[in-house]
Amino acid sequence: MLFALPVLLVFVVFSWGPIVKGLVMSVQQTNLIDPVKWVGLENFRYVLSDPGVGQAALNTLWFTLLALLFGFPVPVLLAMFLSELRGKSWLYSTLAYLPVITPPVVAILLWRFFYDPSPSGMFNTILGTVGLGPYPWLDSPSSAMPSIVLEATWAGAGNAVIIYLAALTSVRADLYEAAELDGAGVVRRVWHVMLPHLRGVLLLMLLLQVIGTMQLFTEPLLFTGGGPQGSTMTILLLIYNYAFVNGDYGAATALSVLLALALAVLSAAFQLATRGWSTE
Amino acid sequence: MNRFAIRCAAGLSVPFLLVACSSAPSSTGDSGSSGQVTITVGDRPTSSDPANRAAFDKRVADFEKANPDIKLNPVETLWDATTFQAQAAGGQLPDVLNVPFTEPQGLIARKQVADLTKVLKDDGLMSQLNPNVLKIAQDQSGNVFAVPTAAYSVGLVYNRDLFKKAGLDPDKPPATWDELRQDAKQIAQKTGQAGYAQMTTNNTGGWMFTTQSYAFGGSIENEDGSQATFDDAPSKAALQLLHDMKWVDKSMGQAVLYDIDGISKAFAAGKIGMFMSAPDAYRTLVNINGLKSSAFGIGPMPQQGGDHGTLSGGSVQIVSPNATDAEKSAAVKWIKFNYLNKYVNQDAAVTAAKAGVAGKLPVGTPGLPVVAADQWATYQSWIKPYVNVPLDQFAPYTKVAADQKIIPEPPVKAQEVYAALDPVVQTVLGNAKADIPALLTKAAGTVNAKLGR
Repeated sequence: MLFALPVLLVFVVFSWGPIVKGLVMSVQQTNLIDPVKWVGLENFRYVLSDPGVGQAALNTLWFTLLALLFGFPVPVLLAMFLSELRGKSWLYSTLAYLPVITPPVVAILLWRFFYDPSPSGMFNTILGTVGLGPYPWLDSPSSAMPSIVLEATWAGAGNAVIIYLAALTSVRADLYEAAELDGAGVVRRVWHVMLPHLRGVLLLMLLLQVIGTMQLFTEPLLFTGGGPQGSTMTILLLIYNYAFVNGDYGAATALSVLLALALAVLSAAFQLATRGWSTE
Repeated sequence: MNRFAIRCAAGLSVPFLLVACSSAPSSTGDSGSSGQVTITVGDRPTSSDPANRAAFDKRVADFEKANPDIKLNPVETLWDATTFQAQAAGGQLPDVLNVPFTEPQGLIARKQVADLTKVLKDDGLMSQLNPNVLKIAQDQSGNVFAVPTAAYSVGLVYNRDLFKKAGLDPDKPPATWDELRQDAKQIAQKTGQAGYAQMTTNNTGGWMFTTQSYAFGGSIENEDGSQATFDDAPSKAALQLLHDMKWVDKSMGQAVLYDIDGISKAFAAGKIGMFMSAPDAYRTLVNINGLKSSAFGIGPMPQQGGDHGTLSGGSVQIVSPNATDAEKSAAVKWIKFNYLNKYVNQDAAVTAAKAGVAGKLPVGTPGLPVVAADQWATYQSWIKPYVNVPLDQFAPYTKVAADQKIIPEPPVKAQEVYAALDPVVQTVLGNAKADIPALLTKAAGTVNAKLGR
């Protein structure tokens, strides 16, 4: 117990202290210079009555949904594909991981260039050669969020691929051999050997992805600033704007608390629902 | 897809930062019993800019020699929208800092700047400053919270090469928005580039919409800032014009999302004929983004239905709200010495101009006088031999701007108002069937809720 004390202390001061302080700030009005004013639930009422918050919540859910539909399966498939390749597998996994090393800011600036909406833009030029486009990509409210999902999938897939690959290496080789001897093709090997082994990791990654995508921030900030027409304004970008553009810390912390609550409830529900499905 | 680590970090860091900020701010200066005052001053050029840094450090040394009871502690802190709030909250602001005109009203409302009225009156500086420009830094009852050191009004920046290619006279930028529409159409048809573009994101949409609305005779807030007033005929006409240029004339190109950085890059690349900006865009466009200096042109803000005026921009020096009286007076002395002396002292004017030329900065970029008009003219004659910008190309702007009425930004929560107006402009430019009156009514509702808070 005595030895654990310093760790515990550090944890309380640096990890839980700020969270508690954030909770306290959500019921205060402060510019951090004048004495604080206790306002009770006023910040929450203000935030909940802001029409921007409703739209930001919907946008965030929309991103999460798109990311699950398109972003989640890609790394799984990629990992399975890579694990099927014999020889030079280090090369393929390096290539798959490469986008993750690119700093997000650099990647986004690069993609903004790709997404240039004029016919001479990079993607539009390529699509133009086969008679498609030009598409507005980030400049239309209907395609802005999918465009962000595309970039985010590209940028983040490598991380998940590495984790899935690691999980797949723990599959005993004799299981594959047995399956092959029994005449199982690639599809059946994937379905009966790989997927069951990945189940635990898949569930965990799913939860982490939902929590992660609900906190989407960098991409909309740098791609679109929340536009066009508010279609990519996410909860976290709104929190950032409240705090660092408007200087309204009360509203920012109130919305942070609401987001944290929603994520906690979601995680708990997920845990309950999937308790029976975990591995073995 | 799983960039969760970054996102979790970003999510967690908001409360963390907020809390990091909330520790009791400490005064950065200290005044000992000996009468010696130490103040920190921001905006010291970084070591990657050695010529300017050396010039700045020399001014610091000269100032300390002239004022033995004041010690300066120069720091590299610059104003930055994304870090300012955290620095202000954490008591990390220098005692003196340069901030743009967009900020003083918000800073005054949030009590993040010192009241300088008494110091400025005692010093006599109050009467030397241009009262039109000083309004930027005053609250409703006329107290002054900052010292303007550079000012300009928003005008119309245009590409002289594209004007020529389109068969337009590069010395005659449009004077009304109807003319602007015609010119934009002609540029788009003859050159294939966007004739006109407007900023729309990160609050610049609301900022430029405000400017445009002013030029149509509109307003954004009522005088005490308690009510949104942009739900009116001039604003509707302004948006209708944008709508028609984009969807009827097709003279605004494909891109909708521009902030100041994006529009500067596209303009410097020759993709835009005209956009609203101030004379200091010259540095951004020519020195930073590589526009040919001969292609830069600027005219006054086009007006519509009368001479209404334009939005002002520029910089003011603010003093930390934690400064003591002695520190405030030391700060004002430094502001005068470093920023305003050149307007009243020939040696200081020449030294500053020479330093600018050596540092490859534009010298002589026109702007609005921050001091009285005749003093301003004298200053211009002092620096004439060192001017390194093509003044002829600024002439359409300077001829009109000196007398054009300047209108300050909305007095209350300007940035929040701009944020609420961004999507309005984006919708008009992104959706051919946008319902302009409904958009404005909705935005006015949002803004009124914020103004009431």
